[in-house]
Amino acid sequence: MPSNVFTIKIAGPAGAGIKSSGLLLSNILVRHGFNIRDYVEYPSLVKGGHNTYQVSFSKDTIYTARYQVDLFLSLQPKHWQQHQSEFTDKTIIISEDAVTAVTLKDLSTPLGSRIYENTICLAIACYLFSFDLELCKKIVSNNFGAESPNNQAFQVGFDYAKEHFASQIISTETQVATDNGQTIHDGNESFGWGFIKAGGNFYSAYPMSPSSGTLHFLAAKQKEFGIQVIHPEDEIAAASLAAGASFAGARSAIGTSGGGFALMVESISLCGAADLGVVFYLVSRPGPATGLPTWTGQGDLLFTVNAGHGEFNKIVLAPGDQQETFVLGGVALNLAAKFNIPVIVLSDKFIAESSASLPDLANQKIDQVLSTKPIPGMPGKEYMANSYEHDEEGFAIEDAEPVKVSVEKRLARFEEIKKAIPAPLFYGSKTAKKLIVSWGSTKSSILEALSLMANKDDFAFIQLTSMWPLNPGLQSLITPFKDITVIENNAHAQMLSLIKSQFDFNPQKVLLKYDGRPFFPEELVKLLNE
Amino acid sequence: MTDTPTTTSTPKIDNIRSQIAPTWCPGCYDFIMYLGIENALKALDIPKEKVVIVYDIGCIGNMADFFKTYAVHALHGRSIPTAVGIKLANPELTVIVVGGDGGIYGEGMGHFIAWARSSVDISVFVSNNNLYSLTTGQTSPTTPKGSKTKSTPLGTSNEPIDPVPLAKTVNPSIDAVSVDGHNPIEVIAAFKSAILNKGFSLVDCRQNCVTFGKQLDS
Repeated sequence: MPSNVFTIKIAGPAGAGIKSSGLLLSNILVRHGFNIRDYVEYPSLVKGGHNTYQVSFSKDTIYTARYQVDLFLSLQPKHWQQHQSEFTDKTIIISEDAVTAVTLKDLSTPLGSRIYENTICLAIACYLFSFDLELCKKIVSNNFGAESPNNQAFQVGFDYAKEHFASQIISTETQVATDNGQTIHDGNESFGWGFIKAGGNFYSAYPMSPSSGTLHFLAAKQKEFGIQVIHPEDEIAAASLAAGASFAGARSAIGTSGGGFALMVESISLCGAADLGVVFYLVSRPGPATGLPTWTGQGDLLFTVNAGHGEFNKIVLAPGDQQETFVLGGVALNLAAKFNIPVIVLSDKFIAESSASLPDLANQKIDQVLSTKPIPGMPGKEYMANSYEHDEEGFAIEDAEPVKVSVEKRLARFEEIKKAIPAPLFYGSKTAKKLIVSWGSTKSSILEALSLMANKDDFAFIQLTSMWPLNPGLQSLITPFKDITVIENNAHAQMLSLIKSQFDFNPQKVLLKYDGRPFFPEELVKLLNE
Repeated sequence: MTDTPTTTSTPKIDNIRSQIAPTWCPGCYDFIMYLGIENALKALDIPKEKVVIVYDIGCIGNMADFFKTYAVHALHGRSIPTAVGIKLANPELTVIVVGGDGGIYGEGMGHFIAWARSSVDISVFVSNNNLYSLTTGQTSPTTPKGSKTKSTPLGTSNEPIDPVPLAKTVNPSIDAVSVDGHNPIEVIAAFKSAILNKGFSLVDCRQNCVTFGKQLDS
């Protein structure tokens, strides 16, 4: 394993500030010029339990957080013990009950509260990686405010580490990196920026993990960007509001997870029937039913592709990481406006609640495609958006011939849609021995795994970005390969079924994971080499 | 058309009717709501292009085909949130919801209560005939207790709701009235007043179903 990637993991009970200190750490890393990818695990509760935040960082390209940890910070005793499989013989474990023992309580008592222990741990990490103390202190101060006892806590932690852990410094190489202006964005925020930059101005959502981050992000920005952000009584209302707003000329989207999306399915059909362009941002977590609210999975693919009664046009796009969520969020709004249909952006918890260092999305641009449909307020163009089968003006029809014409019009439109969807992404050589086919968040695990493999040139990788319709060019990309591996974060190999339903596709190997966790790169290396 | 209220301004809506003749049963009181909406809009001098009517599903929702304005013929029960989305996206529009007791008080009850609590300026006109009529006569939330209908041949077991007091419970200052849906003057006046009101308005039009209503008397 190349030594230019480092991984720090912080663990402790919910409420101890695991994620906030983790994000602060990532911020420090980014200001030191590192690329970062993080990953969080937490149960569905507010206090207690076992939360973790891990971040991998490197001066080189990095796609996702690694499994193996260089430094483990356990905010309370025992929280490191269940992670032994992530440790190497070089891993440093900072905990009251570990080899590198630190009694955090003794350090926090003079500060007046145990809530500062996460900052003390953070300072220990910064010392062990030889980060610039003054820069770290400035970031901590900017984060908490100049008067916050956290500033003192950071100094206490740093001084303690200097006194006790000087022999355990992990890397001094980290001193020399320089800030390259990147910003940390998680997938939910990335979708929010894509929505804003593509002219989105109406967002309705009923809170549901792991999609609520976008609701919170856009709600906080509604005044600055002139966006209506509504949290209505349920998901049915959220979808209906967005459909109504679309009719009135808004560029609208909703956000939800699988269970909420299930309630919106009738509205998706309405959008398909009544020509209403709405973007549905669906952040999957494992189902069925309430499932695993704070974990990840790709179990909603076929449901999404088939969502809605009757036959109508829709598009399902699947971003593979945070940057793609930004881009495809914008593409989705444009396609919804161009074709006046529902467009689903299918993400998952692994992308949505993990962060990446990216060029600041606030400064990026997305070209807007505007709808040409008349909107209320335009004189003389009155028409009806009708949930019934209807004619050009929107009036209901039931006679055989006009119904057939209307259905065939939608079919013809589907052919245009196929030409407008994004193409699959191809990585590696077209003459590689083996092909990996996957979609969505597994992209980052696959690329990181390949970066670890000496035989990486044996593999090409196709990442589907439009899950419906499937790109007609997919067949010619697949056909030359005889040794194909499918990788999916679900139990039913749903993408495999979907591709088989449209193309000649016979993979030799199917790698599935369905325990609420993403594939880790090291795990995939083993599986791919088996 | 009877007793059209006079107005001093020039009505900008001279014709909002479509080419399609209404298909309601002869004698249906939905005709009164149809004429009521037409008269109220004419009298209030609202530019035609600024009117959006959102129709629920049901006999009264079929009005969608008999007017030609900007309109959405929405899903059953979802007319209110659809209308709210339109109004929030463009507050300059006059947004009217037309639905029945099934769509507004049954399937859409949650939405009705949720938005009755709001100050969103939409007018909700309900054809309340205590029955699901387009589906040929089943019990609705306003059907009197004990009524025998096609879906409750042994008699309904639930208490009926009373929409106006219900709305006032969640929003005491709400503009909500129940009118005799058989009386065009009352209906037109209530529609005008609701459209003029700056906030959520409910006009509950009590009426009998001329085709399936008889079973409620048995």
